[in-house]
Order: sequence, then C-alpha cells, then structure tokens
Amino acid sequence: MANSISHYLNSFKACLNIDLAIKDSVAKELYTHLEDKSQELKETGLSEEEADKAATRALGPPELIAQQIYETHAQGSWQEAFFTALPHFLVALLFASYYWQNIFCISLVLMSTVGIAIYGWHKGKPMWFFPWLGYYLLPVIVTGILLIYLPQGWGWIAALIYIPLAVFVLIYIVKQTTRRDWLYASLMLAPIPVIFSWLLSLGTGNEFLMDNMWMARLQRAAPWVAITFLTLAAATISFVRLKSRWSKTISLLIPPIVILALISLANRGNVDFRGWLILTLSLLAFTSPAWAQRLGYNIRKGENLCEAKGSR
Amino acid sequence: MNYGRELLKGNTDSLLLYLIDLQPTYGYRIVKELEKRSNGYFQFKEGTLYPALHRLEKDRLIRGEWQTLPNGQQRRYYYITRKGQQALAKRLAIWQDFSTAVRAIIQPETI
Repeated sequence: MANSISHYLNSFKACLNIDLAIKDSVAKELYTHLEDKSQELKETGLSEEEADKAATRALGPPELIAQQIYETHAQGSWQEAFFTALPHFLVALLFASYYWQNIFCISLVLMSTVGIAIYGWHKGKPMWFFPWLGYYLLPVIVTGILLIYLPQGWGWIAALIYIPLAVFVLIYIVKQTTRRDWLYASLMLAPIPVIFSWLLSLGTGNEFLMDNMWMARLQRAAPWVAITFLTLAAATISFVRLKSRWSKTISLLIPPIVILALISLANRGNVDFRGWLILTLSLLAFTSPAWAQRLGYNIRKGENLCEAKGSR
Repeated sequence: MNYGRELLKGNTDSLLLYLIDLQPTYGYRIVKELEKRSNGYFQFKEGTLYPALHRLEKDRLIRGEWQTLPNGQQRRYYYITRKGQQALAKRLAIWQDFSTAVRAIIQPETI
C-alpha cells in the first residue's frame, strides 16, 4: 500500500471508535475506492505518488469521514438503549419494591448480571455489554471497601493484600475498554460513584458492617436510591440514542457527578474522612478514562490527526 | 449557503437508492455514475458518499456485501432491499409531485 494511502487510512482508523470489525470493513472499502481513483489518475499520466495524493485529497479529510461514520454507527436502537440501561432499571426496581434485602431477588439479579456479562463478552463486547460488566465488577470493589472497615486494624492488613489485586484487575479491564473507546469505560464505571455515595453517606466508619441502623436508613432512603438509578438508566438511554460524541459525553459524565454531589452534600455529616477519600477515588476512577484519553492525546500530539483537529 | 449543494444534500439518499436499484454497485462506481448521468453537474464529494451509504444500510434500505472480482480485487457491492424499494418509490412520487408543482408556478405554459 502506498505511503499516502496508508497514512490516510491510519488517520481514519485512529479517529474512528467503533466495533473493530466495522472499522476494518469501512477502512477496506475506502482503500478500494482510493485504489480505483489512483488507478484512474495514473492513466491520465500522473505518477503513482501524485495519483495517490490526489486520490486521498478527493476523498476529503479522514477525520471528517470518520466522524460521519461514527455518528452513523454510534447511535443504537431503542431496543439496544433499553438493554444497555437494563441493569440500572433492575437495581432501581429492587429498591423501589423494597426487595433489596431479599436474598433470592439479589441472587437472581446477580446471576443475571454475571450470565449476561459473560454472554456479552463472547458476543464481541457490544455497547450494551459495558454497564453489565460494571455491575459484574462491583462486588470486587465493594469487598475491598468492606475490608478497610474490618475492626481493630485487621482491615488494613486484609485490604493491603486484596486491594492491590482488585485494583490491578480493575485497571486492566478499564485500560482494555479505554483502548476500544473511553466512553465505554465510563459507561461501565457509571454506577460506582453513585453506589459509593449511597453506601458511605448512610453511615460512618464500620456502621454498615455492624449496625442495623444503617440498614434502617437504607430502607428509608430506598425510594431515593431507586430514583438515582432511574436517572442513571435515563442517562444511559440518552447516551445510546444520541449521535454526536460530544452530546454522548455530556449525557454520560454529568448525571453520576451531580448525583454523587447531591447525595454527599445532603449527608455530609455522615461521611467520615475515609468515606470522602473513597468517594473522591471513585469519582476519579469514573472520570479517569476521559483523563487517560486526554493524556494520550498530549503524548501523541502531532501524530494523531483526528485529535489534533478536535473532530470528535 | 450554496443552494445547489443544499438541494443535492437533501436528495442524496434518493439518488443513491435509485442507482443501487438499477443494479447492485459499489462506492466508486456510484460517484462515476452520478457524474456521468448528470453530465458532470453533480460533483459528489467522494468522502460524503460512504457515511450516506452506511446510513442507508443501517436503516436497512440497502445491504452491503463483499465480493471478489475475477481479477482478485474485492469490492463492497450494495443491493437495494424491499424496504429500500418502497422508500424509493415513495420518495420518487413526492419528488414528481414537488417538481410538477414548482413547474406549475414558474413555467405554467409547460404543464
């Protein structure tokens, strides 16, 4: 493949965050177009290099085509939107119906989450898979936090062994997802700050391990918990249905941050230092894919045509 | 605003559906065919063709299929679907009505 065509297609692919199979197919289609155009220009007397350059010029800026192709493929159907938001709806339903203490219901939701996450993994990780994966990972994170609150210093020892392993797994998965598209990583992590803000604002220290009062408070707050998860579901549906990347970003990032801020401020007296630390970390984790993307841009500045022109 | 460009933009999907309905074809040939049939009037921006084709495919008005030509080259051929044929028929009817109405106003003697 000639240099200018190869460079053009690399720029195009770098700008396009969609399923790899679709991306490769579109790139191949553009390649066949450029090949035809270049061949036609060569027949008019241009050199190979000139013909390739003219062909890529005629096709237009790669980042613009990538953006338009993205907008075509990034918008999911209503069915897809509903299925992507379904885990949030299930959690909302658990709290709205006060079945969150029912071990059978919790197990059913948990098993469905695990089953659907595994199914999505084998189906090539489509967009709807990521919130399910987020809930699948949640027990790993919550266990780490519960370990911190074990009594008499044992917690820190257990946490020191467990947390690095959990963090490693989490970072690995977030990194892999960010490579595909950082928006999917944030989609996956969206419930985490919301769950933590509820978990930590309803009691200080180790209350939620030891104290029945914490359970009673959660029971009282259940309708509000349901509303926050319904808000997450609505944000997820907007994310899937919107076309432009910019509006997708807004619809995904703003609601969890606002929910976290509102719950934390309303219950600020109940959150201890460790609680604030965990809330801050969870917010950082949620927004980290966006920062990672930004950092990646700074490192590769000048190489990535798409980012440099801010076409996303 | 370039009026001609806006008109083309508004009718791109119909033109693409029409050409694909004539015979299954691929992107580059569509660009050439549009230029040829319009005597060079439609200088289609090549890059905008593929997003339009993919949008039509996503709406299930056409379907794309990779084919290997006898010389070994591969091309993604587009075929019109039944839904695409129905959409095309509807759009052509609207266009005919619109065109007749416009002519009735600006060139009444030709009606």
